[in-house]
Amino acid sequence: MVAHGIKDKVAVIGCDATKYGELWDKSKEDLLFEATQGAIKDAGITKDEIDAAWLGVYYFFTGVSGTTLEDSLRLGGKPITRVENYCASGMDAFRNACFGVASGAYDVAMACGVEKLMDEGGRGLPGTTVMGHPVLPRPSAPAMFCLLATRSFHEYGWNKEDLARVAVKNHENGYYHPKAHFRMKITLEQALNAPMIADPLGRFDCCAMSDGSAALILTRPELAESYAHADDYILVKSNSLSVHTAYPWYDTNFDFISAPATVDAAKMAYKEAGIINPRKEIDLAEVHDCFTITELLNCQDLQFCERGKAAEELKNGTFNWDGETAVNPSGGLKSFGHPIGSTGCRMVQEVAKQLQGRAEGRQVPDAKIGLAHNLGGAYAVCSVTILGQRD
Amino acid sequence: MAVKGIKDKVAIIGCDATKFGELWDKGREDLLFEATQGALKDAGIKKEEIEAVWAGIYYYFTGMSGATVEDILRLDGIPITRVENYCASGMDAFRNACFGVVSGAYDVVLACGVEKLMDEGSSGLPGFKIFGHPVLPLPSAPAMFSMAATRCFHEFGWTKEDLARVAVKNHDNGSYHPKAHFRSKITIEQAMKAPMIADPLGRFDCCAMSDGAASLILTRPDLAESYAHADDYIIVKSNQISARTNFPWYVPPNGPGADFTSFPSTVKAAKMAYKEAGITNPRKEIEAAEVHDCFTITELINDQDLQFCDRGMAAEELKNGTFNWDGETAINPSGGLKSFGHPIGSTGCRMLQEITKQLQGRAEGRQVPDAKIGLCHNLGGAFSVASVTILGQRD
Amino acid sequence: MIGIKSYGAYLPKYLMPRELIAKAWDFPAVPGTKAIASVDEDSLTMAVEAGLDCLSGIDPKSIDGLYFASTTQVYTEKDSASFIATVLDMREDIITIDFTDSLKAGTTAFVRAMDTIKANKDISSILIIASDTREAEPATMYEFGYADGAAAFLIAEEENLPIVIDDYYSISANVTGPWKRAKEDNFIRTFESKMDNQIYIQSITRVMSEIMKRNNLNPEDIDVAAYYYNNPRTHGRISKRMKFNQGVAQNGLFFQVGDLGTPMSFMLLISAMKRPKEEAKVILAGFGDGADSILMHVQDRRALRELSKNHMGMAGHQKSMKTLQNYNVYIESKRLLTKDRYVRKSSAVTMWRDTPTVYKMYGNRCKSCGTVQYPTIFRACIVCRADDQMELVKLALKGKIFTYTLDHLVGGSYLATPVPRCVIDLDGGGRVLLNMTEIENPEDNVKIGMEVELTFRKEHEGADFKNYYWKCRPIRGRF
Repeated sequence: MVAHGIKDKVAVIGCDATKYGELWDKSKEDLLFEATQGAIKDAGITKDEIDAAWLGVYYFFTGVSGTTLEDSLRLGGKPITRVENYCASGMDAFRNACFGVASGAYDVAMACGVEKLMDEGGRGLPGTTVMGHPVLPRPSAPAMFCLLATRSFHEYGWNKEDLARVAVKNHENGYYHPKAHFRMKITLEQALNAPMIADPLGRFDCCAMSDGSAALILTRPELAESYAHADDYILVKSNSLSVHTAYPWYDTNFDFISAPATVDAAKMAYKEAGIINPRKEIDLAEVHDCFTITELLNCQDLQFCERGKAAEELKNGTFNWDGETAVNPSGGLKSFGHPIGSTGCRMVQEVAKQLQGRAEGRQVPDAKIGLAHNLGGAYAVCSVTILGQRD
Repeated sequence: MAVKGIKDKVAIIGCDATKFGELWDKGREDLLFEATQGALKDAGIKKEEIEAVWAGIYYYFTGMSGATVEDILRLDGIPITRVENYCASGMDAFRNACFGVVSGAYDVVLACGVEKLMDEGSSGLPGFKIFGHPVLPLPSAPAMFSMAATRCFHEFGWTKEDLARVAVKNHDNGSYHPKAHFRSKITIEQAMKAPMIADPLGRFDCCAMSDGAASLILTRPDLAESYAHADDYIIVKSNQISARTNFPWYVPPNGPGADFTSFPSTVKAAKMAYKEAGITNPRKEIEAAEVHDCFTITELINDQDLQFCDRGMAAEELKNGTFNWDGETAINPSGGLKSFGHPIGSTGCRMLQEITKQLQGRAEGRQVPDAKIGLCHNLGGAFSVASVTILGQRD
Repeated sequence: MIGIKSYGAYLPKYLMPRELIAKAWDFPAVPGTKAIASVDEDSLTMAVEAGLDCLSGIDPKSIDGLYFASTTQVYTEKDSASFIATVLDMREDIITIDFTDSLKAGTTAFVRAMDTIKANKDISSILIIASDTREAEPATMYEFGYADGAAAFLIAEEENLPIVIDDYYSISANVTGPWKRAKEDNFIRTFESKMDNQIYIQSITRVMSEIMKRNNLNPEDIDVAAYYYNNPRTHGRISKRMKFNQGVAQNGLFFQVGDLGTPMSFMLLISAMKRPKEEAKVILAGFGDGADSILMHVQDRRALRELSKNHMGMAGHQKSMKTLQNYNVYIESKRLLTKDRYVRKSSAVTMWRDTPTVYKMYGNRCKSCGTVQYPTIFRACIVCRADDQMELVKLALKGKIFTYTLDHLVGGSYLATPVPRCVIDLDGGGRVLLNMTEIENPEDNVKIGMEVELTFRKEHEGADFKNYYWKCRPIRGRF
């Protein structure tokens, strides 16, 4: 019987992402084209070598169906699947591409993600009113995550300054990344004095609206030897997905200081990868910081620190790019940007490049094992991917 | 190195579908719940045994994300992926579920599809206005496919009567299926006199709007022996998909599919699927096929693209009975989309569970005699995405 | 015996000082406040509130009907009563009726409920709810008066009711005003308010006098007179004319909450129920194109006091009311300001970025294989699949139909359906899909191979944006 999981069965042999930002002059076709061409070039292959592709797209106005990628890339009738799983769409596309390769159905697969938000007007994520139930409330994204902040303040004694510190760190990291949406450092005061979006989250607690795309080329490790990154291809150590209710506010057991989807996905991923002490073993992590509060809670749910301690650990420098566990050395969603469907793939390619020692922004020293964490919906869906260097 | 493809590596050990129709009193929650409970019961397992799920859902209003499924089935945090690939969403969900099993990541998985259309008003598929470009035209589904009909009439000399015959056959088959949306036989005259929707397609050339869900439980064949259908589980012989342009009307005259008399996505998916399954003469080797007949013209073109007959001959073969339920290759013995219904995301899985049951000799409608190999074909978008799955009996 | 088993009321959260209205329009100051509904309230939601208050401690499934009275019902075709009954979780086998179009709808519903119970063995209780949110035209005297609120009575046939109904009497009258025309008017208006007032005084005194006469009662026998009014001075005049004792007519309501419309007389009665006298004689009267009067008496003072303890009634709501500080908040919450309430949908950005495709009618030529293709959005060639080999080329505004459909489902600003949707090979390359305009008898006249010209037209005005694009037309001979 085959062992469970896909540990060491998939190799990342090429990857890239576009510059993120308010890219008025680029269409989703441009973004996908540029990211996939970049990944193809990085892998040193031609597009004809791709056997199948998976595309992560969240909003229907960005694109429906795998054909969205076909029209950008023209693979000539190859299999292309669109995966949608809220803000974790990108990493779930990557996950399914891994299965495609690990199953032996395909030798070379592409995983990519794209989102084009700025065509829809730039004031907050669009469309929540047209989705779902006519009257059952569906809070805006900041409102959803505020529910966590309010409760965390209550339970842990955190305050707005603790949140602001996340923003300051991530803006500081993003400042060094040429592809980040925001490349400016900010001060604690700036963050604290920003206008309120959904109390207690102010403008600097929220990631902005960005356009962007990212792509990765995958194969099986034994084939990876014959491609450009033969010496430094990256291995998928584990990849997990956990899905919980879309309506946590109806769950009387939900404590609003932890995301069960992250907790479960992390457990699965650590088990598959054989990681026992995440804080020690993981050198860097791209973690879903759609809001500052999200990053703090993720650090706990991912077992980088004890429950209730994330704010203090952050203050002590544990999560700095040169700290014990670097969290969001790219600048994270906060500063790098968050084009929904693209984010999961963007994180995975960032971690891959860090492990290869060719980070485009701040290089985490001596990074050997990295983690990417993608969260979607009302903390409903979580995907965790652990990458490692080749043997 | 592993052999490409997933032939004989996946077994279907349980499946079911809901009744299709205008189910005003059922939510997407009821539909997916009922179909999945049916499949679990058929497999003789508990839902706790499911390790991962893939769900095909097309419209955002039916549901976003795997979380939609979690709230319906309550699987306690296991992985659930929503796959969307136009009208082929259901079969692509099944395909990804197969990879999940074959990769060794999971032992038992659920592939399912659901669509709840009737909550959005019942006059034609909703939402095209809000998709895509502000002014570049995106024709309605009937308009898209009728452009192929116009061209086939011109190239092959087919007529409205040829189209009507597809509707008559499928309504005849559907009248025997307890779960079909429409269970009424119709005459050629009725079909031809129906009001025009998108000339030359009239109302009986178009499938209607339906609600419904379908579910399948998959595992690896070595494990299948220990479940309820140990003796008659069904094997996936091949599963292929091909994605082409969203905009066939912009394909220049020298490009693929420019002739509007063939769907290049179907052609390619079929070729790959036959190769993987080792089928050389589809007409002879395949006994029953569920084929995407969203419109009557679609079935005729598919019959050719799937190599069940020569190009231009589908209308004549149909007339001669080749595609009847007791003909050489039974096409849509369930009644097809035309009479069974077409809740978008659910259709691919509905076809697969239909063929599974046909091969097990327990078809709920007309049982195709002695069916050993069956095919399902799911088409999406403007003939953009085609998925072909071939199923066979266990050894 | 038939009588009032329970009552309930609803007053919205905010009170508007009349002083703010006077200031806003430079009008002479008027004392008092009026109750105004919030932006998310209407006659239907307020009716639910009053119904919930009335049914406190009562099983909604035990009630056999719901009558809803309002002049500001939210639908002109669709029953509000059955909707409210659903929200209140009442049974399905009940009767529901909307009483509308007249300010006496409340009292009319009341007496008809009485009739219904009398006439049907299996109907023994009916919930009556009156609710109104009448909008006053800004900068008119009406603005000082019209207010929002709701009130409810549960009419039942049983022993030991707090209040028993003794008699009722109605008249009909064609009044000069006020009115609101179904299609033409946004606001209630009148022709001659002095004349209206005269008819009002005549009608209301007549129904009250008549019912007293029929029951051999003198003015001093009446303990409570709850009759509709919209002007404190007229209210006093009627009391005098009726020779009621001091304190019998309830006269503080207009000053505190304004003219509530259909629930006005109900609210007057409810406010009088706090300290009931034993065996008190009560008159309830409503007015509006006629008048109704209802004679009742208090049967069980203890039960009535009990009701006032576990129902909010009027006083319970007044405790938590807040005074509005800004007239403009009122104007906006009533949606009285005309402004563009923009709903974002389409994409002006996409239109700008796709200028070559949608406005200039450009295509791409692939430098690798030479194929001309449309639109210019895609960067990889659909024929040879070469990447980034595109150069912009101007397409011909003429071509031939390759295939088409006659679409019967197309909506929008077309002269007629079906609309031909045509795949066209443009002269010199580029295949496009365009709708055809200005075609007669498309069934006969659209053909494969037909020559067409492109013409720039208004495509639609969706998404608060003028969306222009190209269509095709039969050849007119443009060079």
